[in-house]
Amino acid sequence: MFCSLKAGDKGKIIDISHVNHLVQRRLLDLGITEGSEVCVKCIMPFGGPVMIESCGQCIALRRKEAVQIEVEKL
Amino acid sequence: MEIALIGNPNTGKTSLFNNLTGSYEYVGNWSGVTVEKKVGVFKNNIGKLIDLPGVYTLNPLSKDEGVVTSFFLHDSFDRLLNILDASQLERNLHLTLQLLEFDKPVLIGLNMIDVANKRGIQIDAAKLSEILGVPVAPVVARSGKGCDKLVDIIGTKSMQPARKNLVYYGEEVEEAILALSNEIKGETGHSRRFLAIQYFEGNEYVKKYLHQMASSEKLTAILTNLEVSVQQRYNVKTLANFIYLKRKETIDKMLAEVVSKNGEVVPLTEKIDRIVTNKYLGVPIFLLFMYLMFELTFDWLGTRVSDALDAFFSGPLTSWLEAALTVVHASAFIHALIINGLVAGVGGVLVFVPQIFILFFFISLLEDSGYMARVALVMDRIMESVGLNGKAFIPMIIGFGCNVPGIMAARTIETPRERLLTILLTPLMSCSARLPVYALFVGAFFATHKAIIVLSMYVLGVVVALILAKVFSSTLLKSETSLFVIELPPYRLPQFQSLWRSTWDKGKGFVRKAGTFIFGGSVFIWLLSYAGPAGLNVNMNHSFLAGVGSILAPLLAPLGFGTWQAAASLITGFLAKESIISSMNIIYFAKNDAGLQGLLSHYYTPLAAYSFMVFILLYIPCLATTATIYKETGSKKWTVFAVVYALAIAYCLSFVIYQGGKLFGFV
Ligand SMILES: Nc1nc2c(ncn2[C@@H]2O[C@H](COP(=O)(O)OP(=O)(O)OP(=O)(O)O)[C@@H](O)[C@H]2O)c(=O)[nH]1
Ligand SMILES: [Mg+2]
Repeated sequence: MFCSLKAGDKGKIIDISHVNHLVQRRLLDLGITEGSEVCVKCIMPFGGPVMIESCGQCIALRRKEAVQIEVEKL
Repeated sequence: MEIALIGNPNTGKTSLFNNLTGSYEYVGNWSGVTVEKKVGVFKNNIGKLIDLPGVYTLNPLSKDEGVVTSFFLHDSFDRLLNILDASQLERNLHLTLQLLEFDKPVLIGLNMIDVANKRGIQIDAAKLSEILGVPVAPVVARSGKGCDKLVDIIGTKSMQPARKNLVYYGEEVEEAILALSNEIKGETGHSRRFLAIQYFEGNEYVKKYLHQMASSEKLTAILTNLEVSVQQRYNVKTLANFIYLKRKETIDKMLAEVVSKNGEVVPLTEKIDRIVTNKYLGVPIFLLFMYLMFELTFDWLGTRVSDALDAFFSGPLTSWLEAALTVVHASAFIHALIINGLVAGVGGVLVFVPQIFILFFFISLLEDSGYMARVALVMDRIMESVGLNGKAFIPMIIGFGCNVPGIMAARTIETPRERLLTILLTPLMSCSARLPVYALFVGAFFATHKAIIVLSMYVLGVVVALILAKVFSSTLLKSETSLFVIELPPYRLPQFQSLWRSTWDKGKGFVRKAGTFIFGGSVFIWLLSYAGPAGLNVNMNHSFLAGVGSILAPLLAPLGFGTWQAAASLITGFLAKESIISSMNIIYFAKNDAGLQGLLSHYYTPLAAYSFMVFILLYIPCLATTATIYKETGSKKWTVFAVVYALAIAYCLSFVIYQGGKLFGFV
């Protein structure tokens, strides 16, 4: 679960299939899928979006979608 | 020869387009700047270049991406110029592989070489070209480096892909490709392999296209068979995913041969991000930026220049013109038309050019630096609570310049509901054409708090938009789906030259409008104020203009400005918001030194002035905006709705402000 990661932590995505399929498609477009390594850069307050970094690019997605991504802490 | 530019978002396609064609299209550092097709001619006349919105794949999610897929299926072009971001090669190559399947001549422009090098990424362009079987030209679109060579290659080399079928999708898929190709044999001029693969990936546009030419049952049968067999044999979730992985395999192999990395550097971007997207400081920093912008525009710099310009127009310019008119023995009618109509009307608008340019400069800075996407990130939580997403804030910020491109920018919002909502609400953003009204009124009534009062207008527009978003999304436009995934581009230090160009490009529109639309409008309004039922050169209070205005005036009385003058200028404001100012200048034509600002205090109290500003902020989208709303929604109903709700909300708010203010003893 993404919620186990704090800002600055790194993780590897192991399952993304529970996420809304549109979000999955967009993440795939950005090259983020199972097996990608991600690093949490910043978590906005009040349940706001999270900012993650993967392969040298930064993207932001909503917390509620992020928690549905299963990651393994590195 | 027609060449189409295609590539991932924010890779510099439009920068290259501008460089090669010498035009100036909209460039900005976030994904989704270009939302429609633009055509230009190469500087050396070798053909036409077509700029397209950026896409990650040819399978579209949003409307701007759909533009590209339709272009592929239905328009004709000779060559493709694929722009890759060298610092994000892996992701970019997914699109390239799809393009190569299309089997048209392709040339690759490897852009952002400077960025890649800075990050320690070295790319062997010759090797890449050999593997892909098409020419690859390294360029830096921003500075123009390598562009000559690119043009040379376009003019001379053959770009027909030398290699076929770069990706082998596995037995099952390849068989299905053949089967599907047989079904549509002779029906289409496009590459059948391309169409088949896109169809398998779930591309709706291609599906619609194919179902027109072959029996949809047969095609669906091929697809479902394939899905089942792939899922069984390879244990993947979807066929689309399988195809993606096959491409990725090919790309990984390729990258191992062409890319070499040395040493990771922590980019400056991350350091800046730690501050501007800071948990708690994010929103305050954005507001501070806006406040500084208004201080500079209205207090520190803009107003001083504007005042100087105003003094020039009403002083020396008017006397020169008067002298000239006397020399040529112009009739009294012409004299009045030029001095009381044109100089007052057009000059009254042009006076605000300095302020508008400063505002545009800041908007360009926001666009070019990379902060735009961060604002979307910072605002997402608030936007989510009203049923929108952070991306909807980008059209709104663009709307601060002009509502028309703001509404166009809503194309990048994926879900149709959120897009419609954004289109309906963007007109509430205070565009630059409304700025002269504020400048005039704050100068006359709130001289000590100019920036704060103006900032309050902008914030009010946003707040009203957010409240209405909440109202609409829980009544008219109910739906749960919302999508927010946004790419945050690295910060780029804006170059002075490109900043200036984009400021100039936006400001030019304002000046041009003053020279055409406002010019014509001023003549017309002046005529209406000059003529009346009793004939020409009547007292203005008995003119046609006064007649029309006084019909509406009683309605506006509860808002604090129930004069025919206010009513008449509001009517003209529908044509263009600047017209309000030119009308007022003509109506209250003041020959004395006190000027319009001094005169206004006879007609308005400070409270009424604030109420008037609020009314103008909200009351109606201008003609051009209304037309754009219609074009983008394709619905008369929503267009009428956008106009009507705005009027209603403006009336209510001004009423509350004026009457409430009076209760509390403000005047
Ligand atoms: N450092 C660097 N920056 C570049 C280069 N080319 C473009 N840029 C910058 O990249 C940003 C994006 O440029 P655009 O030309 O708007 O990109 P685009 O591909 O048209 O973007 P979309 O229309 O959103 O798809 C701008 O801020 C440019 O100044 C380059 O070669 N080097
Ligand atoms: Mg562009």
